[in-house]
Amino acid sequence: MLDPAFTSALAAIVPGEALLTSAEDTRPYECDGLTLYRELPAAVVLPDDEAQVVRILELCHAARVPVVARGAGTSLSGGALPIADGVVLSLAKFRRIVSIDPLSRTAVVEPGVRNLAVSEAAAACGLFYAPDPSSQIACSIGGNVAENAGGVHCLKYGLTVHNVRKVRGVLVTGEIVEFGSDALDAPGYDLLALVTGSEGLLAVITQVTVKLLPKPREARVVLAAFDDLEKAGAAVGAVIGAGIIPGGLEMMDQPATRAVEPFVHAGYPLDAAAVLLVEADGTPEEVESEIAEIRQVLTAGGATSLRVSADEAERLLLWSGRKAAFPAVGRISPDYYCIDGTIPRAALPRVLAQIEAWSRDYGLPCANVFHAGDGNLHPLILFDAEKPGDKERTIEFGDRILELCIEVGGTITGEHGVGIEKIRGMCAQFPPGALERFHGVKRAFDERALLNPGKGVPTLARCAEFGRMHVHAGALPHPDLPRF
Amino acid sequence: MNAATGTRGRPTAEAIRSVTEGLRLTCGDRVATGQAIRDQHGHGEGLADGALPDVVVFPQSNDEVAAVVRLCAAARMPVIAFGVGTSLEGHVAALYGGVCIDLSQMNRVLEVHAEDLDCRVQAGVTREQLNAELKGTGLFFPIDPGANATLGGMASTRASGTNAVRYGTMRENVLGLTVVTADGRIVHTGGRARKSSAGYDLTRLFVGAEGTLGVITEVAVRLYGIPEAISAAVCQFPDLKSAVDSVIVAMQLGVPVARIELLDAVQMDASIRYSRLDGFAAKPTLFFEFHGTEASVREQAETIESITGDHGGSAFRWTSSPEERSKLWKARHNAYYAALALAPGSQAFATDACVPISRLADCVMETQADIDATGLIAPILGHVGDGNFHLVIVFDPARPGDREKAEGLAARASLRAIAMGGTCTGEHGIGVHKLDALVVEHGEAVSLMQAVKRALDPLDIMNPGKTVPHAGPVAGRP
Repeated sequence: MLDPAFTSALAAIVPGEALLTSAEDTRPYECDGLTLYRELPAAVVLPDDEAQVVRILELCHAARVPVVARGAGTSLSGGALPIADGVVLSLAKFRRIVSIDPLSRTAVVEPGVRNLAVSEAAAACGLFYAPDPSSQIACSIGGNVAENAGGVHCLKYGLTVHNVRKVRGVLVTGEIVEFGSDALDAPGYDLLALVTGSEGLLAVITQVTVKLLPKPREARVVLAAFDDLEKAGAAVGAVIGAGIIPGGLEMMDQPATRAVEPFVHAGYPLDAAAVLLVEADGTPEEVESEIAEIRQVLTAGGATSLRVSADEAERLLLWSGRKAAFPAVGRISPDYYCIDGTIPRAALPRVLAQIEAWSRDYGLPCANVFHAGDGNLHPLILFDAEKPGDKERTIEFGDRILELCIEVGGTITGEHGVGIEKIRGMCAQFPPGALERFHGVKRAFDERALLNPGKGVPTLARCAEFGRMHVHAGALPHPDLPRF
Repeated sequence: MNAATGTRGRPTAEAIRSVTEGLRLTCGDRVATGQAIRDQHGHGEGLADGALPDVVVFPQSNDEVAAVVRLCAAARMPVIAFGVGTSLEGHVAALYGGVCIDLSQMNRVLEVHAEDLDCRVQAGVTREQLNAELKGTGLFFPIDPGANATLGGMASTRASGTNAVRYGTMRENVLGLTVVTADGRIVHTGGRARKSSAGYDLTRLFVGAEGTLGVITEVAVRLYGIPEAISAAVCQFPDLKSAVDSVIVAMQLGVPVARIELLDAVQMDASIRYSRLDGFAAKPTLFFEFHGTEASVREQAETIESITGDHGGSAFRWTSSPEERSKLWKARHNAYYAALALAPGSQAFATDACVPISRLADCVMETQADIDATGLIAPILGHVGDGNFHLVIVFDPARPGDREKAEGLAARASLRAIAMGGTCTGEHGIGVHKLDALVVEHGEAVSLMQAVKRALDPLDIMNPGKTVPHAGPVAGRP
């Protein structure tokens, strides 16, 4: 419960309909894409502009009320999970694309603008915004910055941190700060990189300047089939090792292709143990020579069949299965756990073989659909929570995968963030020395720990077991939304 | 420079003596207190007005660096990390004395993962050494700030260089670090995974921190396949604006050039004489380099030829000969010395600025007018493809007022770039010379930087007086 004096002070900042306090109104904000965790906030506030954000934060800071900033609520790690006695600060009304500068190839947007809307707006200038998380039709730029979102194209074009020039934000004390610069580099400490991926723990983002890239004149995709999972994993390394950085390099194993084919009818070879989707983009000449190189490497790597998209429609069809893989898996299994570990590419064959072996040992099917070029795994462990013991064994299986990721030099989260979900796993990955640096950074920005407390970085006392994402009976909000 | 002035004094003779004794226990005879070695470690390149450390130590391992830092922390003695001393903004000057950690003996390439296109090296490895050791792998490390700097120094100053327009800066290319923090702990940041959403981005926090948050002892970087074809082109222009406009159009069209360098008429004149470039006129000139397949480099060169032709460019020359190419780039790398040779007996310092590409022409032209008004020799050159350009300001130390005039010109170049939405330094860093400009540019963010500094180095022993102004009220804050 909030102090009534505090609530009326909040009410004085925003118009009446922009402050929600009854359970019935705040219910839609009780969780994000990670539905395993739910919490009703004491209040939800939807400011119209930055001045209101400043006043809200000043008020919360003075009253020591925790604040959770929220974009589109598509986070998969519980980053936007409310705090029971806290305020959810929704940036939903910050929807303006402020400007697009084709000469500097930048766009200035408000945090509530959807990821895809940026590329749509920039298309008129022949430009696009490269990071493309699969939820890009819904997720917002502010959330992308907070989570350092990736996507299929980040192999070639970088993560959010590489594609953002400047972020304007409000500190918990109400001060407005600009991170980064309109120019290539900003001197001093790289606060822009600190804020990017900080999961709402350091500042509330109110404006973002993103880089735009010229749209490649052509893109074509190669679909390669393999009769062996390890060979497919090794082929990923071989493509990159040959010095080719494709526009996208994704893998789906047989459980995944068999789940999606009836869904999208893309014509995937269902007898293959795994398929790779490798995209080349650029000028027609570049695409042609890169496709030839890719074909050569994949053939040498043991591909049993190759199919190259002949036109844009076929390219989109081949990608459609990849984009729809998660909703498709949700149809064939009552429950699934999604893991988001990332490993050095060279370790792919070993890790994939181990996951396959564990899948047999545990008697739990596991579908792999992931950003292979980045080494970013998304194993989906299929199970039935109604079956006694299934969930526990799934948890153990998932833990072992993440432990293996750390063991081979990887990380427990490639792109979904720590949020509430992986807070315990952070202790396995980071020794106290690094965790103390994290706390130092947090103190520098938010001494009272009011911004999104309990997420992102565990207290040293809180180190225990791993967490993971749990989807029950496909009960993900917007289950139709493409993900991962 | 007044923002750097703190209240702390130099360590007492007693403190120096006891720390030196401790260092000898840790590093044996790899501890130097002689004047010559201290002189050599008190300054980088550029202006010679450095400040000497009290002791120089040459550790050979992470553990030794950690032990050195712990000793210094206990005695509250400043710690200054030193690579090969090629920085330009006074980064290594020991403003308050202290211990200089020379990392040149940590010079091993630790791991090369050809298939993952990455490697891990000790901080004292130079970029030329790394590329020599990569021979035979088909890979290379592209970042090239001109000087043969160490990877640790390049990470610390967030170096960029002539081909940042294609390969990015150290910000994009460092995957992970080993850092000895201010309390003498060894911390590993980042990792070999291509991406991670776990925790704050400490890697990028230490990259560019100029040794003020910790000592970088190991660096993991991305590597790239050596392009199948590399070719170069040169084009000369009737005036500076046409050259700059050509660059802007090329960037707008997204031509993936690997390098674009501008040399103005004064610099060309200097370089023609100094580097014996035949067949060139002393006119504004662009150097280009293209990386890719045979077909794509030819296509890129053709596009550039047509763009430059539209802007009055002449004498377009295209070459795939490695000899001719390296002669051109050598001339570019020696630009500073060539400019110095224009006025024997003079001194020079380089300054850099970076603006959004849409303001590049304005910024360069206004800077040109400013140079003309001062009457100084100050060639304009730089990696204009990313909006970054340099001035090499030549002045006569014997002539009264000349140095002040030169510093005034540099300060105005910084402020002009900031006013145009740019930055006072695209790649040289803040060091000690640009602290005032940092305050103008970043406003409120400077106090956050100070808070980060206090949180990670509460005793203020890591390269004190650099990068962020001392905390507390800053005079003249806008």
